[in-house]
Amino acid sequence: MTDVTLDASRGSFRPGRAALFLSLVVLALLFLTPTLGVILSAFKTTRDIALGDLWSVPATLYLDNFVEVLTNPSVKTYFINTLLVTAPATASSIVLGILAGWVFAKLPFRGSETLFLVIVSGLFFPPQIILIPLFKLFNRLGLIDTLWPMIIVHTAMGIPICTLLMRNFFTAVPNALREAGLVDGANEWQVLTRIALPVSLPAIAVLATLQFTWIWNDFLWPLIFTQSDDVRTIMLGLVFLRGQYTVAWGVQGALALLASLPTLLVFLFFQRYFIRGLTMGAVKG
Amino acid sequence: MEQRETFWRIVLLAPALLVFGVFVVWPLLDSFRYSFTDWNGFDPNYNLVGLDNFARIFRDPEFRNAILNTAIWIVAALLLPVLAGLGLALLLNTGVRGSRVFKSIFYLPICLAAVIVGQIWIWIYQPDWGLLNTAIEAVTGVRRFNFAWLAEPSSALGAVIVAWAWQQTGLAMVIFLAGLTAIPSDLLEAAAIDGVPRWRQTLHIVLPMLRPATVVVVALSVINALKGFDILYIMTGGGPFHSSNTLAFFMYEESFKKYRMGYGSAISVVLFLIALSIIVIYFRQLRKLGEIYD
Repeated sequence: MTDVTLDASRGSFRPGRAALFLSLVVLALLFLTPTLGVILSAFKTTRDIALGDLWSVPATLYLDNFVEVLTNPSVKTYFINTLLVTAPATASSIVLGILAGWVFAKLPFRGSETLFLVIVSGLFFPPQIILIPLFKLFNRLGLIDTLWPMIIVHTAMGIPICTLLMRNFFTAVPNALREAGLVDGANEWQVLTRIALPVSLPAIAVLATLQFTWIWNDFLWPLIFTQSDDVRTIMLGLVFLRGQYTVAWGVQGALALLASLPTLLVFLFFQRYFIRGLTMGAVKG
Repeated sequence: MEQRETFWRIVLLAPALLVFGVFVVWPLLDSFRYSFTDWNGFDPNYNLVGLDNFARIFRDPEFRNAILNTAIWIVAALLLPVLAGLGLALLLNTGVRGSRVFKSIFYLPICLAAVIVGQIWIWIYQPDWGLLNTAIEAVTGVRRFNFAWLAEPSSALGAVIVAWAWQQTGLAMVIFLAGLTAIPSDLLEAAAIDGVPRWRQTLHIVLPMLRPATVVVVALSVINALKGFDILYIMTGGGPFHSSNTLAFFMYEESFKKYRMGYGSAISVVLFLIALSIIVIYFRQLRKLGEIYD
C-alpha cells in the first residue's frame, strides 16, 4: 500500500501540519490507553491497582503475576489446546481454499460464479445460525468435549475467505503460464502445485496471518463444544480463570497479555499481510 | 481436453464443497427444520409444532427487547466506527509525519480477541478505580464517583457498544485508507493548482470517490454488529435485567442455557433472514458500483 501524498510541501514546517500531528498524537494516546492499562496491570499488585495506581510506570519490575499464571497447570493446557486447534484448522482451510480458488479462477464452468458467491456469502452470516445443528451433529458423532469440533468448524468457516482470496490471486496469474505448463505435459495438479503455488506465497501468508489470528482468538465455538477444563482453549479458559482470580486484577492482566502474545507477534511481524488480507477480503466481496 | 478439465474441477472442488456443505450449508438448512419443532436439546423425540415458535417470538417481550437492542447496536455501528474510521483515514492520508506508526496504533485492536477487548473495557468502566470514573472525578472535581457503567440498565448496552467500536474503528480506517489510495493524485493536484481549498477538495472530490469503500465499511460494520456476541458475553452477559441483550445473545441463551432448541432455532432463522437481506443489498451495491467504477 503506497501513500498518496496530497500535499507537495511535505517536510517544510507549517502550523497546520503541526496541529494535525499533535491531534493525531493525542488520538493515538487515547486509543492506546486501554491496551497500555492491561500491560501495566500485569506488572502491578492487586493492592496498587485497587488504590488507583494503575497508570504509573512501575518503579520495580514486579513479576509475581506472571509466575502465578505460568505455574498454573490449566494455563499450559489451554495454550497447547489452542495451538492444536489453530495450526491444523489454519492449514486445512488454506489448502481447501487453494484447491477451490484455482477452479474458480482458471477452470470456470456454468454456474461457477453463483457457486462462488454462495461460498463467499458464508463470510457474512452470524455463526448462531448453525450452532444448534452442529451441536447435535457433533453430539451424535461423540465428538463433544474434544478438540475435533473446533478444528472442523474453523476449517469449514475458513473456506469462504480462503477461497475468495486465492481465487482473486490466481485470477491475476497469467493464463499463459498454465497453458505453457499443460503443453509441456504437466497435468492440472502439477501446474497448480509447481507453477502457481510458488508464486502465490504472499497470498498464503496473508491467509495464514488472518486465519491464525481469528482462530486463536475464537471464543464461541469452544464455549459451545467443550465442557471439561482439559479441552478448553485459551480464550475460554481466560474467562473461567477470571472466576478463580476475581479481584486479582494483576493476574488477569498477565493472563490477557500472555494470551494475546501470539497474535500480537503475528501482527507486529506480518502486519503488512494482515492488513492486505483485511482489505482484500472486504473490498473484493 | 474438456473431459480432463471436468475431472480436475471435481477433484479440486470436492473437498471444499464437501466440508462447506456438511458443516455450514446443511446445518443452516437444518436450523430451519428445528425452528418448526419443540426440541429441547437432549430428547431424541420432538414434535413438529408448525409456526408456533414464530408466533411465540412475536409475542415475546424479550425478543422485542433483543430486536430493539440489536437495532440500536446497528445504528451505532453506522455512526461510531464508520465516522471515526473515515476521520482517521482522512487525517492520516495527508502524509503527516509518522503516519505508519499512527496507522499501526489504530490497527492494533483488530488483532486482539473480543474476550481481551471486553476485559480491557471492564477495567475502564470499573466503578472504584476504572479510568472512566477516575477521569470524571478529575474533570468535574466530584470525589468518589462510583457509577457502575456495566451494572446499570441505562448504560450497559452503550458501554459495550463503545468498547466494540474501539476495536472496529481500525478496521473501518484500513478500508477507507485503501479506498483513498485508489483516488488518482493528479485529480487533487489539478484542483490544488486551480486554487480549490483543501476542505472543498475533500468534500467534492475525495468523499464522492470514497463511495465504494463506504459501502464496504457500512456493510461490514452492520454485519459485525449483528454478529457481536463474545464481547457481550464477557462484559455484561446480556444484563443487567436483559438491558444489553441482543438477538445473537438471546439465541444463545434460549438454546444453550434454557435448552429451548426449537425456539432458539426460530430466533436464528430470524437472524439469518436479517443477515441475508443485508448481504443481498451489499452485493447489489457492490455490483452497481462495479459498473460505475470499473
